[in-house]
Amino acid sequence: MHSDIKSDMNGSNSGRSHDEKVSWKNISFDSVLRLNPVKLISNPVMFVVELSFFVVLIMALDPSAFPDLAHQQDRLFYGVVSIILLITVWFSTLSDSIAEARSRATAEGLKKLEAETPAKRVHVKEDGGREIEEISSSELKKGDMILMSKGDQIPIDAEVSEGIAMVDESLLTGESAGVRKAKGDTLIGGSKVVSDSIIAIVTTDPEDTYIKKLVRMVESSKRPKTPNEVALSVLLLGLTGVFTIILIALIGLSVTLSLGADLSVLIALYVCLLPTTIGALLPAIGISGMTRMSKNSIIAKSGKAIETAGDADTILLDKTGTITIGNRLASEFIPVGKHTERELAEAAFLSSWNDDTPEGRSILELAFQKGFLPKEFDALREGVFEEFSAVTRRSGILLVDSDDFTLPKGGREFYQRHRFRKKFDLATTMVDDTTILKGAPESIKERTGTQNDEFDEVVNRVTSEGDTPIAVSIHGDVLGIIRFRDVLKRGIKEKILGLKKMNIRPIMVTGDHPLTAKSIASEVGITEFISQAKPETKYQKVKEEQAENRIVAMIGDGTNDAPALAAADVGLAMASGTFPAKEAANMIDLESDPSKIIDVVILGKQLLMTRGAVTTFSVTNDVAKYFAIVPIMFASVPALQALNFLQLTPHIAVLSALIFNALVIPALIPLSIRGTKFRPQSTLRIFMKNLLLYGVGGVILPFVAIKMIAIILVYAGGAL
Amino acid sequence: MIGIRHILVIVGLWATIVFFAWILSKYLETVYGDKESKLDRIFIPVENFIYGLIGLDKNKTMKWKEYFLNVLIFSAFSAVVSFLILYYQGYLPINPMHFPDLSWSLALNTAMSISSNTNLQHYGGGSSLSYLSQMVGIQFLQFTSAATGLAVAVAIFRGFAGKKNQTEGLGNFYVDLVRSLTRVLIPLSFIFAIIFIIIGIPQSLSGYTLVRTLSGSEQILKIGPVASLVSIMQLGTNGGGYFGANSAFPFQNPNPISNYIQMALMMIIPTSMPFLFGRMINRMGEGRTILIASYGLYAIDLIIAFIPVTVLGAGMEAGIGPFSSVFWTVTTTAFTTGSVNASLAAFNPIVIIPAFMGMLIQATPGGIGVGTMYMLMYIVITVFIVGLMAGRTPEYLGAKITAGDVKLAVIGFLSHPIIILIPTVIAYAAGYVHAIGYGTGPTSFTQIFYEFTSAAANNGSDFLGTTGNTVFFNVSTAIVMWAGRFIPIFVMLAIAGRIQERRRSSEISLRTDDIIFPIVLIVSILILVILTFFPFLAIGPILMHLEGIKNAL
Repeated sequence: MHSDIKSDMNGSNSGRSHDEKVSWKNISFDSVLRLNPVKLISNPVMFVVELSFFVVLIMALDPSAFPDLAHQQDRLFYGVVSIILLITVWFSTLSDSIAEARSRATAEGLKKLEAETPAKRVHVKEDGGREIEEISSSELKKGDMILMSKGDQIPIDAEVSEGIAMVDESLLTGESAGVRKAKGDTLIGGSKVVSDSIIAIVTTDPEDTYIKKLVRMVESSKRPKTPNEVALSVLLLGLTGVFTIILIALIGLSVTLSLGADLSVLIALYVCLLPTTIGALLPAIGISGMTRMSKNSIIAKSGKAIETAGDADTILLDKTGTITIGNRLASEFIPVGKHTERELAEAAFLSSWNDDTPEGRSILELAFQKGFLPKEFDALREGVFEEFSAVTRRSGILLVDSDDFTLPKGGREFYQRHRFRKKFDLATTMVDDTTILKGAPESIKERTGTQNDEFDEVVNRVTSEGDTPIAVSIHGDVLGIIRFRDVLKRGIKEKILGLKKMNIRPIMVTGDHPLTAKSIASEVGITEFISQAKPETKYQKVKEEQAENRIVAMIGDGTNDAPALAAADVGLAMASGTFPAKEAANMIDLESDPSKIIDVVILGKQLLMTRGAVTTFSVTNDVAKYFAIVPIMFASVPALQALNFLQLTPHIAVLSALIFNALVIPALIPLSIRGTKFRPQSTLRIFMKNLLLYGVGGVILPFVAIKMIAIILVYAGGAL
Repeated sequence: MIGIRHILVIVGLWATIVFFAWILSKYLETVYGDKESKLDRIFIPVENFIYGLIGLDKNKTMKWKEYFLNVLIFSAFSAVVSFLILYYQGYLPINPMHFPDLSWSLALNTAMSISSNTNLQHYGGGSSLSYLSQMVGIQFLQFTSAATGLAVAVAIFRGFAGKKNQTEGLGNFYVDLVRSLTRVLIPLSFIFAIIFIIIGIPQSLSGYTLVRTLSGSEQILKIGPVASLVSIMQLGTNGGGYFGANSAFPFQNPNPISNYIQMALMMIIPTSMPFLFGRMINRMGEGRTILIASYGLYAIDLIIAFIPVTVLGAGMEAGIGPFSSVFWTVTTTAFTTGSVNASLAAFNPIVIIPAFMGMLIQATPGGIGVGTMYMLMYIVITVFIVGLMAGRTPEYLGAKITAGDVKLAVIGFLSHPIIILIPTVIAYAAGYVHAIGYGTGPTSFTQIFYEFTSAAANNGSDFLGTTGNTVFFNVSTAIVMWAGRFIPIFVMLAIAGRIQERRRSSEISLRTDDIIFPIVLIVSILILVILTFFPFLAIGPILMHLEGIKNAL
């Protein structure tokens, strides 16, 4: 299951057609430019390392500038030390450059989506007629009316005003999936119309589109630091201060007590003790966090929101769209009385032929799979279709004799029905007018005036099992019940389990009947749910949870959700949702996949963990570095050699410790950019694992590594 | 040289102390909390009288800034009073031995030293202070500075407890101060003064007595109000003895019983503070964490101290013995009391290393009240560093640790090496060390380094003693003592004030009340604090030891 979640996170990355093309030449050039001390000042740790480089460089050039602290015969050694120090700084700037290059590549990929495209602007003439003008997408303005036909790219964010079309919204994932768009739906610039034509009203100016926002998020160089980043920077500054005091005191004492310390050795100790690893990688970790968000096609309005997501205690999950795929599907025909399954299925088939809802289509599919096809198929051509109405809670069809067969309305089901048509083209038997009704059991009962205990019993059973019963009647005679069942999203059970392992409480919110809600909830392992939710329920629940001092994350798309989205600590709005919802949320998912909230939480946690792990590693590394350098630090105090259990000679000790210190940075660049490995587990287990790996490992590894580098250096020195 | 018997002594003493500390913490909860006590009937009239005397509204609570300001004002006020008494003791009464005034710098050093709960003794108590100076200039301040430590600690605990216990602010400093005196320090030290008198410590105002010894020579018996001073100096982790030689002097510490009672006395209140913390925040587990971490570090100190096979050199107190001397020395630094029962210079340098550790960490369990305060500072830093690894914003007691908290904790953490190392370097660079006849060898360096470490940690044990009575050392250590006392108090009161206001999460991210966290905490303290000073320990006591081995071969 763990691999599932990971592959979900990574899958969306790898599937992209326009993956980063990182130019190593540019990166190297950029990283060298960043060595400019003025630019480095924002990173105090690296800044003082660079200052140290200059001091040791002067020592190499003119040792006499530092009487007592530098020696003429060690100029070559000083030269080597200064080069290692410079390389240490360069590794740091390199990690920044790599992280930024990757985010730039991501931004470039995004920009291509919204590159100049032709757009068809619609002018309404005074006489009511329409005129179409071909322009470029950059000329569009908010409020313009545009026409898009099959194959067109949507030039800019807009709202459908006329027509229905299928649109491929998989902007970034590359997985094609059509979404039906009708009046009032949101269109995102960059997606593609795959069938039919629609007319839409432009909702933003070209510079404010969602894609532009995403690009800005990734590109923004003045990315404000997140609260944890600020706190960590303060800590690093403090540690730098502590070690600076120690350096000053050691220099002072070395001179006054005639300990014979060499300035380059003291500086080497200083640089080794500084938290250079985390200091070097901190910016890269932050940048790559934003990049990874954008790869998931999520616009975060602030970096803080991502971090807060990692802290979430409670997540409100909508049942529909998050836990189950959007709609319930027919799963069984249950006849009542003396009717057979075939009668029921055929009637259901007929009544659903023109029903374009996913429920209706699922009836056709089920009937077809079971081989129940009505002989009255031909009569479909002239059926009078009664659209489903929320008021009557039913839909139906009146069949009359006719010869023409009309193609069904556009959309994905086109091909499917095409096949049907070929198969049954020859069947031409038809009878009298037939009235078939299907709908909510109570509604059908009322309409037909049926009193049937068996019917009631079936309805209750289906309901209690968490499914939705739909009754079908023909000529006022109830045939039976179609069972509609929720279909779980792929991998949702594992995601819920992951949340629970991370001590995050998932709460399912649904408008369904309590029994239905309970059945779905228990199927995916959720214990808490709110059924028969009203629009304000989410807001109340957010407030309730916050009153108990929990951090609440939620998703939403409707205007009804806006207050809750604004109140929640982490609000993820669907791009397909309404404008107020998107304004209220602090994140927007361009792909409108509600279950991504879980990935956002994991990303937030990964960011925090990566920072903590590298910091801990950086601090625990100091133990070995002390034991490598302190024993050889004071040339006039040979007795301290007793502490030298790594058995290193002075120059070798300094060089190996510095080389180790420098090499750790590039070794951890991939970790900083990708983040620590994450498997949903309890906080304690995550903590223990990281503690062992980065804490205990951070103490032991450098002892081994420094000794090995020393052996290699001695061997190489001998070979030369 | 350490056998089962000795381990049993240590474990036995610890078990006894922890048990009584636990009982004491229950009592302390009634002193500082809302709970009523049977003793209220006695104490409330006394306290109301005192409040009336100083014109105090006991129901007014203070926010952290106001609380800190009053701590500072009160401490400064007591330091000034003490300074005036010492500086003019020749003109003041109760001076039967007719000791002259102290020099301004010595009076300043002594006043700052006592008021900061340090009790670094650059004065020879028995040979230069009048009875008035001993009782008001020293002893009274030993009570108030210990009471200040307690007050600060409970104020900080209230902050960490959150808003539940207190409507607003951290409490009233003067109420906490008065109650610390009337209900804790005065009764306890009174009881123990009686016990000390019974076991043979003098308590008298009759002046020093000239006696003829068996061998026929004459000797001055320096007796005075010793017993009462000994009980508060240990109980309040002050450490400033009646005599310059402190508890190595037979009148101050006549026998093994008095020795262990004095140790128990310095341990009891600091050991009860973690329990009190647990009670006040209503999570005993968190108090246990602090206790385990403190005693764990204390145990590490002891193990190091007992490592050398040839533990002691010459000149040891035969009546108390090497084991008790080493145990005492580690304990007095672990609790930053600073009283001594043997000359530090006589120890194997290895014993000095844990003495340094105690003073550099200051929370093993540390001085009265402030020890637990330092541990909370380390917890904030440790939770922040390792807490991120749990994948959540680090929290302590459910409160998120923000950049502001880290900044404050780092200031507290950073102040310690600054006020120790910078004066040490200045002392050498400007020649003040040479002026008092000390050289540049590891022994001299250890002693100077120890002087400032002891001052910064408000410990007070030292190598210099009256040798340190020069203008430079008097003034520099005076500044260091106050900085070492009030910067951390400022920082922690500020953190407590901020945390009190903060929204608490009800979910636990990183548990701090299990067995893993104290271990993480100990390791983190050792890496952050001891390793920081490792180069200086290397050229001090470690080098002394290594050169000692070389010379012996």
